[in-house]
Amino acid sequence: MTVTTNRPADTGDPAVGGAGSRVGDSRRLRGAVLGVTGLAMLMLVVELLPHTGVVHEQYLPPTSRILAVLVDQLGSVEFWVAVGETLRAWAIGLAIAVVAGVLVGMVIGLVPALRALTASTIEFLRPIPSVALIPLAVLLYGTELRSTLLLVVYASFWQVLVQVLYGVQDVDPVAADTARSYRLGVWGRVRYVVWPTALPYVMTGVRLAASVALVLAITAQLVIGSPGLGALIARAQASNAIPLLYALVVVAGVLGVVINLVARAAERRVLAWHISVRREVPR
Amino acid sequence: MRGVLRRAGLALGLPIALLAVWWISTEDSQNFYLPPLRTILRAFVETWTLDRLRADVAPSLARLAAGYALAGIVGVTLGLLIGSFRWIRALLEPVLEFFRAIPPPVLVPIIMLFAGIDHTMKIVVIAVGAIWPILLNTVEGVRSVDEVLVDTSRAFRLGPVARLRYLIVPAASPQIVTGLRQALSISIILMVISEMFASSNGLGFTIIEFQRSYAIPEMWSGILLLGLIGFLLSVLFRVVENRVLAWYHGLRRAQRSS
Amino acid sequence: MRRSFVALTAIAALLLTAACGGSSDDEPQSEGTTTIKVGVIPIVDVAPIYLGKEKGFFARRGLNVVMESGQGGAAIVPGVVSGQFHFGFSNVTSLLIAQTKGVPLKVVANGVASTNRVGADFGGVVVKKESPIRTPKDLAGKKVAVNTLKNIGDTTVRESVRKDGGDPSNIKFIEMPFANMPAALQKGDIDAAWVVEPSLSVAKDMGARVVAWNFVDAAPSLTVAVYFTSEKLAKENPELVRKFTEAINESLAYANAHPDEVRDVLKTYTDIDQVILDAMTLPLWPVEINRESVETLARLGQADGIFSKAPDIDQLLGPATDSQ
Repeated sequence: MTVTTNRPADTGDPAVGGAGSRVGDSRRLRGAVLGVTGLAMLMLVVELLPHTGVVHEQYLPPTSRILAVLVDQLGSVEFWVAVGETLRAWAIGLAIAVVAGVLVGMVIGLVPALRALTASTIEFLRPIPSVALIPLAVLLYGTELRSTLLLVVYASFWQVLVQVLYGVQDVDPVAADTARSYRLGVWGRVRYVVWPTALPYVMTGVRLAASVALVLAITAQLVIGSPGLGALIARAQASNAIPLLYALVVVAGVLGVVINLVARAAERRVLAWHISVRREVPR
Repeated sequence: MRGVLRRAGLALGLPIALLAVWWISTEDSQNFYLPPLRTILRAFVETWTLDRLRADVAPSLARLAAGYALAGIVGVTLGLLIGSFRWIRALLEPVLEFFRAIPPPVLVPIIMLFAGIDHTMKIVVIAVGAIWPILLNTVEGVRSVDEVLVDTSRAFRLGPVARLRYLIVPAASPQIVTGLRQALSISIILMVISEMFASSNGLGFTIIEFQRSYAIPEMWSGILLLGLIGFLLSVLFRVVENRVLAWYHGLRRAQRSS
Repeated sequence: MRRSFVALTAIAALLLTAACGGSSDDEPQSEGTTTIKVGVIPIVDVAPIYLGKEKGFFARRGLNVVMESGQGGAAIVPGVVSGQFHFGFSNVTSLLIAQTKGVPLKVVANGVASTNRVGADFGGVVVKKESPIRTPKDLAGKKVAVNTLKNIGDTTVRESVRKDGGDPSNIKFIEMPFANMPAALQKGDIDAAWVVEPSLSVAKDMGARVVAWNFVDAAPSLTVAVYFTSEKLAKENPELVRKFTEAINESLAYANAHPDEVRDVLKTYTDIDQVILDAMTLPLWPVEINRESVETLARLGQADGIFSKAPDIDQLLGPATDSQ
């Protein structure tokens, strides 16, 4: 009997499976309404604070002003090009990190000798903050896409790798023995035993890596100046255009939320068969 | 004896090999920006004297500790609150998800507008960035407490405080610890980033200074030190985690082998 | 199970194609044009190169110039040395520091200079309206914000204080981005700030007043920043460098003569507000580098201890000729 379900998730998932019941629907509707209310409250607070003089308008423009500038930006080609660049860096970096993470993780996880050998190195390299690599990235690639990628891949790779290692470790020994007694080769074992067990962990790793990749992509662009949303933010700062700064920050936040939602949806899709097997505690 | 040797060999084998590769491949490096490892190591020893460690690294670590502690206390408290009441969670979830997605380095200039320029600002930056994994994981941990146990505790007429103390917190602790671990790495990153602005001391500040004044071997030595500190802190975290969650690790092990 | 496999592979394939299909870096070049990359910061100072590109001064010489914005000398200098950028823009003090460290650079053209007019320069030291600070010597012992420590900001401010008879040795310099300075000033986190346009106009808009014109005080007609290249490029392709220098010089002269067009071109690469654009003081863009002012900056920097040894100006600017 478990005390909690062990999912390295970082926020709640709405009820999965068993959808369609009346109770589930109205609950979800209520949740959505409350969520929207929460957002509306935030926007109201940000609108009122500068007007009432609690905070100087220079530091925090009211919501109406931020939204106005944001709408303006949506009509600008340059803005969309920057968003495209950011998403491009994000996508490429994430893809590389996921592929590398899964491959390396599988190989290390399946060979106990390798795991023992690499454990200390992984523990040392993992906590190195990606910002420490910024000088290196600048030196190697200047302000090109590749310097952004260096940071994105480095940070996201570890997220995936760690999760894959957990996953491979979690293989049910009975299932593993069964596979061996059926004389399934390494590839067979991977395909029928290891991969399905590791898949939830891989998806968690992909989801975490997706968020990290976006944050690093924008950070790299902000600090280094490679093209993208981060560079636009830096420019707004340099030009002392505070409402624009806030508007772009809002865009960054929205992008992150969207990516998180997409990752969550993908996770649910891919793991649809699995969740009904696992003990998920929906609430 | 052989067991210890073997373990040490496994732990150090690959790192030593990698260091050797680094050493050899950069030995004759003419590249201004990628000096030989030997030069970097020499710079390391020369730069990071006890004095310098005290003057620059100690303030950084102190701010890190303060920011992390702040994030931990506020994050867990709020997380327990939000996780316990479904309507609060539904109300705040989009807002929290939104703030969490904002890259912390972007927040620094904004926070500077409010929090000023010295220690306070840096501690606030670290806390604001590190709180999210703690908060969200705590909420998740509270949410996934086994329903049966909650009902049982209610049947035994445990008041809310007692329930919190004897059921919810222990049950959610593995998840909370996960959040605390993620928050640690974020805190280190933000410690460095917060020192890139309005700073006069600190590890991040020193690395950037070196970079600006073209003291490249010293810059690399700083990066090495940063990695070392990150590694030591994560080892420390693991030691503490193993003590606090010993019951949980044992439970999982038993489950897996049953 | 197979479906999830396929799904994952599909996602990976999609991401990879998005990666490969999006490259727009290659532009078709007409016969005889060379594409050159110039590392700049998106600030007022580099308006001439944007204006010059618009006017075709570069195209006329067969140069397709592409501006890449970095975040300051820290990103641009390594870029030039590694060949990422053909040319770069940086303030003089940063280049002097690089020179003392043996970074192989060569200055090719002037970048921007002070207007040399007290009361109307593009950079100065501001204080809050109610501040008791009135003259540069009052800055002694105070907290002054600059955008980069141990660089042109603090050296010139110290000179301002010195010239006014004050003691610059215990001014506390604090590093922060220009954009944060007006707010920090208002809140009292700092006592004074060295700002350049557009932050200068923003600060004045908030009621701040200027107590020191540090560019003017440091040296007459101070050359503040220049365009530079790597020694390697200068040696291997002097023709390219010559053409670039000519085009820049033409752009500088044009910018000086057409301030309205400068204000217009600023809209294309910065986000400066229109109101501020109209109010700002534009810098001067002389074609000649004021060698004497560079020597003064070297001297001041050495006095303040930011160089490990005396910078070799001949190596950076080339040997002094009679016309300088």
